[in-house]
Amino acid sequence: MKILLIVPSYNEEKNVLNNYNKILKYSKNCKYSVDAIIIDDGSIDETKSICIQNKIPHISLINNLGIGGAVQTGYKYAYENDYDIAIQFDGDGQHDVNYIEKIINPIIEKKCDMTIGSRFIDKNSSEFKSSFFRRIGINIISFFIKLKTGFKIYDTTSGFRAVNKEIIKEFALDYPSEYPEPISSVSIIKKHFKIMEIPVSMNERKTGTSSIKNWKKAYYMLNVILSIVFTKFGGKK
Amino acid sequence: MSANLIIISTIFSIFIIVFIVLLLRKKRINIKYSLIWIILFTILLISILVPGFLSFTTSILGFKTSSNMVISIIIVVLIIISIALTVIVSSQDKKIRLLIQEVSMLKSKGDKKNE
Repeated sequence: MKILLIVPSYNEEKNVLNNYNKILKYSKNCKYSVDAIIIDDGSIDETKSICIQNKIPHISLINNLGIGGAVQTGYKYAYENDYDIAIQFDGDGQHDVNYIEKIINPIIEKKCDMTIGSRFIDKNSSEFKSSFFRRIGINIISFFIKLKTGFKIYDTTSGFRAVNKEIIKEFALDYPSEYPEPISSVSIIKKHFKIMEIPVSMNERKTGTSSIKNWKKAYYMLNVILSIVFTKFGGKK
Repeated sequence: MSANLIIISTIFSIFIIVFIVLLLRKKRINIKYSLIWIILFTILLISILVPGFLSFTTSILGFKTSSNMVISIIIVVLIIISIALTVIVSSQDKKIRLLIQEVSMLKSKGDKKNE
């Protein structure tokens, strides 16, 4: 069982080494072999040279693509190198390596094709404080996903996700460049794959900034809703 | 349309056509994207210069003045061209993304071999 952690990183010079060491440490104690690949999304800080100096496996994009393009590069790498499971794992320290086993187990046991690490499914387990407006936003997106697919996803914007081999191929060939989390979930459901949400807790962001800036939030919402409602998500799997 | 207006729009149309042709000769634009502009302004030029054509179409389409009709038609055509350009930009976006991904992956493979 080959497992790959895809770690998209943009200007994460402060976190990248620390994060990778945590993954290494976890990988040694884990019963599966877990590899990691840092996708440096054209960072303008020292992310790339830190990766080279410390021999961290990485792909440095020659230009900034945004989260969707970066993550898809990881899926392409996973597809080329024949991985069985790929896990998306943020490079900013928000996600906790100790939940990796929890989110890949349902896939290994073939209960589902994709898992989403969810902050909201079990309120007690999560200490993640998200703002009131953020929750409203996530709920609205959740409502539209339910409307389109009939399936409820609670944490629509979670970037902590694991997928099996079939979905690695799907994502390698086609992955949304903008608003990738909610939109790829919809396309996966529409293709009759099965998604499960797994309760996890996430850390507050330490350094670095969110990929969604303040003034863009309303615009982001509108775009996500439009794409969910209007995109024609193709056929069978 | 008044004589003044006819002269001004004729000069303007000729100017645009010449400008596009110059761009084309310097290879600053592709033929397939330049054609639409040349066609558009040639039609405009012809419809201005053929006597009676403008007043005839204006009365048929129900505009009050010929200039209103010309402006309305130009606006519609411009909107269509802008949408077409948005489509072109989006498809180029996709191609550039694919290029960046593939080149970066090849590069990282090359770096690994050199180590």
